[in-house]
Amino acid sequence: MLYKAIILGIIGIIVVLDSRLFGRLNVEQPLIASTLVGIALGDITKGLMVGATLELISLGLVNVGAAAPPDMALGSIIAAAFSILSGASAQTALTIAIPIAVLGQLLAIVLRMGMSSFNVLAKRYINEGKFKSATNLHILWGSTLYAVSYFVPIFVSIYFGTGLVKQVVEVIPKWLTNGLTVASAVLPAYGFALLLSTMLSKKMAPYFFIGFLITAYANISVTGIALFAILIAILLDQIIYKKDNSSSSDGGGDSLDSL
Amino acid sequence: MSEDKTKNKAVKKENNKKYWQFFWRSWAIQASWNYERQMNLGFLYGIAPTLNRIYKDPKDIDKKKAAYKRHLAFYNCTPQTSSFVLGLSASMEEQLAKNPDDFDPESISAVKSSLMGPLSGIGDSFFQGTVKVLAFGLGINFAQKGNILGPILALLICLVPAWLVTWYGAKWGYTAGNQFLTKLNSEGAMDRVMFIAGVVGLMVIGSMVASMIPLTTPLHMGTTFKLQSTLNTIMPKLIPVGLTMFMYWLIQKKVNTGWILAICIIGGILASVLGILKA
Repeated sequence: MLYKAIILGIIGIIVVLDSRLFGRLNVEQPLIASTLVGIALGDITKGLMVGATLELISLGLVNVGAAAPPDMALGSIIAAAFSILSGASAQTALTIAIPIAVLGQLLAIVLRMGMSSFNVLAKRYINEGKFKSATNLHILWGSTLYAVSYFVPIFVSIYFGTGLVKQVVEVIPKWLTNGLTVASAVLPAYGFALLLSTMLSKKMAPYFFIGFLITAYANISVTGIALFAILIAILLDQIIYKKDNSSSSDGGGDSLDSL
Repeated sequence: MSEDKTKNKAVKKENNKKYWQFFWRSWAIQASWNYERQMNLGFLYGIAPTLNRIYKDPKDIDKKKAAYKRHLAFYNCTPQTSSFVLGLSASMEEQLAKNPDDFDPESISAVKSSLMGPLSGIGDSFFQGTVKVLAFGLGINFAQKGNILGPILALLICLVPAWLVTWYGAKWGYTAGNQFLTKLNSEGAMDRVMFIAGVVGLMVIGSMVASMIPLTTPLHMGTTFKLQSTLNTIMPKLIPVGLTMFMYWLIQKKVNTGWILAICIIGGILASVLGILKA
């Protein structure tokens, strides 16, 4: 079991690094993850079958009784492993996998929150002239911590069984889970504020609020706002810089057109 | 003539090396994804080789520090389309190093913020919507028959567009930057680019505040009075924009980053326990 737990943990690492290091090539999708599990456990056909079922759930093409787990990538590795090891159906295995996916989701929130402290560290390293240490926070420590956050829950649940994971999840109080979720939604507000503090001026402030108000009231997506914004900016540019254009015979108007 | 050719070849080779750098580092942009500034360290990692190259001289260390810090700002974009922003920013950094007097460093941040919104909107819906559903819809069909081609085909269908978009994004971003920025800069049109990028950037950030902070309040009295509905009649998304402005105010007051992070995390948990906020 130790050997199987390690191999499945490594598949977990491959799956999480797909979106961390390879721009999400969809290796993390249940069909691929489950096939990898099937290969590792020596039952490719079962891996494919389970993968197809889980993929249908994940793409939202099929609704099952149980809700899809919050972290489908992690959940599908566990579910595929249980289904192959115990012969349970894919749906049953997915239900068993839900507590592990919940734990994984919680770990992910804590991790992404903890990594906010990397920003403080990175600034300190840069001030000290340790540029390599600053970029290592990202490529070395970031990837490692993400890899660990997938390896551990998978290893534990395969090696010790899901019972233990279920107990751990039951010990975590509901208020903490909810609290962390709220805190994780508050943090981006700080990120946006930081961005604004470099860009906002009295003259430019209305544009921020125009963008905000349109989305708040009319629910238009960020892409939609960007398209409107480009047009508004071009119109304003024509109004504001009109004088310059007429004074200098063939001004920068053409160069902007070619952009 | 032949000297020119070998020189051209050397430039081409050097540029290709840069494109590959933008390529791989765009894919690795999420390795330290964090709630506060999301992919900022990933972007810094992507542009670091460019900065190291242009500020090689030890006497430029202060400029190098400023450049590194410039790229610590909030950033979020689909990895595949992000290579365009990375290529463009890299060429802007090169321009800045060449003409430090008449190139505003803030224009780099403004261009980044104005591009990330539309490029992630288009990128996410294309890669996570269209391509993924197509690839895996086909893959499932094969897999249900126990055919290993299913997952292999699905991966290949996802890989090809991702590869092409990232590669040409890096190349176009960098060359567009080089060609147009030089021209604009020599014509003194950078002010106008700054203005346009500022308008687009700020509107996009405003839109992100309204759509990416999913906080509401569950406070209510009985069944008739629900605070969130009252807030909605005043202005929807009042809580996200209020919080952002509060954070902005804290930053203007020069409150220590560690404190602000503590306020976010502890405050968030407390607000949830007391039933003031819900995500």
